[in-house]
Amino acid sequence: MSDKTRRTFLKQCGAGMGAVMASGLWMNGMFMGCSPQDGDSFFENLFQISKEEMQKLLLVALSKGGEFSELYFEYSINNSVRMEEDIIKSSSESISLGVGVRVIKGEQTGYGYTNDLSFEKIKHAALTAAAIANTDAKLKIADLNVLTPKLQTYDMKNSFSDKHLEEKITMVKEAYQGAKDHDPKIAKVSAALADEIQYITIANSDGLLISDVRPQVRLMVSATASDKGTLSTAFANNGGRVGTDFYKNNDHPKDIGIRAAKEALILLEAEDAPAGEMPVVLHKDQSGVMIHEAVGHPLEADGVWKGTTIMKDKLNEMVANPLVTIYDDATIAGYRGSLNIDDEGIETKNVPLIEKGKLVGFLNDKLSAKILKHKENGHGRRQSYAHPPIPRMNNTVLAGGETDPQEIISSVEKGFYAVSYQGGQVSGTGKFTFSVNLGYLIENGKITKPLKNATLIGTNVQILKEINMIGNDMGYFLGTCGKEGQSVPVTCGTPTMKISRMTVGGKA
Amino acid sequence: MSKLLKLAEKMIEYGVKKGATQMQASINEGTEFNVEIRNQNIEKLTEAGSIGASFKIIVDQKVATASSSDLKEDTLKSLIDNAITRAKLTSADEFSALPDKEDVDFDISKLKLYDENINKMTPEKKIAYAKKIEEIGKSDSRINLSAGAFFGTGNGSYNLANSNGFSGSYKNTIFSTGVFLQSGSGDNLFEDGWYEYGRNLSTLPSEEVLAKKAIERTTLLMGAKKIDTQVVPVIFDPQMTGSLLGFLSSCVNGSSIYMKRSFLVDKLNTKIASDIVNIYDDGLLPGAPGTRPFDGEGVPSRKTSVIENGELKSYLLGTYSGRKLKMKSTGNSSGSTNFYMANGTSTPEDIIKSVKNGLYLVKTMGQGTDPTTGALSKGAFGLWIENGKLTYPVAEITISGQLGEMLAGIEMVGNDLTHNRSTCGPTIKVAEMTISGK
Repeated sequence: MSDKTRRTFLKQCGAGMGAVMASGLWMNGMFMGCSPQDGDSFFENLFQISKEEMQKLLLVALSKGGEFSELYFEYSINNSVRMEEDIIKSSSESISLGVGVRVIKGEQTGYGYTNDLSFEKIKHAALTAAAIANTDAKLKIADLNVLTPKLQTYDMKNSFSDKHLEEKITMVKEAYQGAKDHDPKIAKVSAALADEIQYITIANSDGLLISDVRPQVRLMVSATASDKGTLSTAFANNGGRVGTDFYKNNDHPKDIGIRAAKEALILLEAEDAPAGEMPVVLHKDQSGVMIHEAVGHPLEADGVWKGTTIMKDKLNEMVANPLVTIYDDATIAGYRGSLNIDDEGIETKNVPLIEKGKLVGFLNDKLSAKILKHKENGHGRRQSYAHPPIPRMNNTVLAGGETDPQEIISSVEKGFYAVSYQGGQVSGTGKFTFSVNLGYLIENGKITKPLKNATLIGTNVQILKEINMIGNDMGYFLGTCGKEGQSVPVTCGTPTMKISRMTVGGKA
Repeated sequence: MSKLLKLAEKMIEYGVKKGATQMQASINEGTEFNVEIRNQNIEKLTEAGSIGASFKIIVDQKVATASSSDLKEDTLKSLIDNAITRAKLTSADEFSALPDKEDVDFDISKLKLYDENINKMTPEKKIAYAKKIEEIGKSDSRINLSAGAFFGTGNGSYNLANSNGFSGSYKNTIFSTGVFLQSGSGDNLFEDGWYEYGRNLSTLPSEEVLAKKAIERTTLLMGAKKIDTQVVPVIFDPQMTGSLLGFLSSCVNGSSIYMKRSFLVDKLNTKIASDIVNIYDDGLLPGAPGTRPFDGEGVPSRKTSVIENGELKSYLLGTYSGRKLKMKSTGNSSGSTNFYMANGTSTPEDIIKSVKNGLYLVKTMGQGTDPTTGALSKGAFGLWIENGKLTYPVAEITISGQLGEMLAGIEMVGNDLTHNRSTCGPTIKVAEMTISGK
């Protein structure tokens, strides 16, 4: 059951710390090196299904008169290992196998899925999905034509799914000790490494047959500091669709641990945030969550044809300060939200959303593109085979500006500097919040004392116009986005920026 | 014994033979039906069955877990072999153990978790219900569009066994339905709605009652104003009390306690709330949404007094967190069950009447809760109270407070508790919180 009005961005996903889990590409490396470039043998080996059988199933799915049918096969392996209180407490390995069958007729969708990949069971799911339509059968569909993704946005070298648990344990220990050894006030630490490899094959009645192999990894640390009866907890993480090199070259496990510890220590000293309207400066590292909520969700195209988003009639209108340019680019190498193809098999690309303040595009899936007569832009995503795709974000970015970040802070007489977040939430009607873990007070153009426990609240149409300074720096933030009960990995990016007025919820 | 429970036991036998000191296996199966209606047409219809197995393996106090939706026996055996290998790579943890065997000594059927209507209610009836609530919802002139209505049913079978001799299974059903609407005009739009769910079809309200509640919530905030920053009493409607209790349940959770990520560490048997506050976790309430005969480790459910007359009496513990804290599991290894605040003596009307200037809170937005410090800060929406009367709606404000101070500041507890959510409570009045606005 999902509250349809709710869109959330969570920095820490429930599945992250400890729920799921851990080994190498398992079953004696049966899938080792399995690549979409292998053509038919990819899905024949992985899903024990042939092109001819898929063709038959797609036709069965149209037997009640549907216009479009699709099969989405998925095999994913999730591993994780968790350290707490100085010991490796557990490791986990989780396998998810299934196929979803979708049928579209007009604006209607029928959906069925099964964990059992026998032809008969998939046929049953296909008939279930088919029942959304009730006219004459389609007798012929396009021949399936195997394509391979043109892009390679993932780093498949030194993939975590090929690594032994020992190697992962070493990394988790480094991250853990980074936090634990940073300061004697760090009382408790938990660290976890979660990696996934997802194999998918998509076939549809337009003749598309395409596969993808997607890695995903995340190293997470939570640190709790304790001093004279005061406690504080902070979280740090990094990862993406990357291999082990990422943690050697880009961000060392130890440094992730240190970041969590440092923030927990600052929080020990932090005071309650003030309350009321004031200028707000957003730090580059995590403030992308605001763009995700305030801009990204309202520009998902399903809200446009359903009429639920406040942005539905604003295409080609000035919706933001002319300084503001926003895009969603799923092709950025190695990012958590990146994809070679979306979950409908469409090649991803950089999709402009707002150009110099003007609204120029929406994020769509096939169904939305068809209904709105827009061009498909590769943003149909799903949590798993058990869910039909819906329009989603990937890597949503507010482009960097020209102002020195220091100048932005200097411009504020009294205001709030938001640095780290628990997450954010938005309604279709554009009201959004983000929950700040750590911020600072700005007084007379200078950062003074640390602040905690603040919620920022606003309405997107207002806030977009209130963004009046944009820094020449850039930061990226990893998260898990929830919509209609489906979670997907995303990234969002922003430079330092200033919002001229916003309500800060703290203590009066 | 069910086929799946037999399979679970067979896997345990296999694991123990291969070197597991202790092993737990659970295999769950379910079917789901969900229809979404928008503008009186079926927009999405999903129907499917799914299955999943999960294992916990302990080898000499070292733990590994595994799960799979692929139930081929070869796959499961390979997973178990892997888990045994993996377990040996983790650290020995003296607190790791399966629970001692404890029998479920009550009649599971009395918990009313399974409703035969699941097989009798046709898809047509479910579609008709969803269409009707949307039709009524849209019939109100203040409603400008429907974001959709749904009706869903689920049917699950849970089977759990472990090497200490526990073996149990149960079935449950779920019926859920709701409608989401939008009111307002131009850039000043409001969306909300209402949904209900329950184990038994009879717990769902009539189409009229549900749709009216959705209309009421969607139109409540029309014309809402932003108000000045101030410190005032806040009345939580029952749904908001439920949300506050959700935060509390994360603070009394055993793992938050042993990891020192709760402001309630070391507060057992001390006064943390006002005298009129009584909070329970009851996994045995017949037909309630959070009811279950046993938790994810096979520990039988019970009723636990968490706060009694304002005093913290118990944390919510699983076997591991219990052993860490030198206490016994409370049957909460899978989290809270029906976690609720008991009724007080005031009517909701009396509570509103008691406030001169304050907020009647109906909706919040955002995460904004920190169990470590008890800090709460959320976007807030509601009605302003003046001289004991609800007046105009307020929006785009925030509320903040510290959970301990809020619990201690509960001045009135309503008598309107209903178990329509697993975490729930009656209307309450909190003496003061900061409202941030203009």
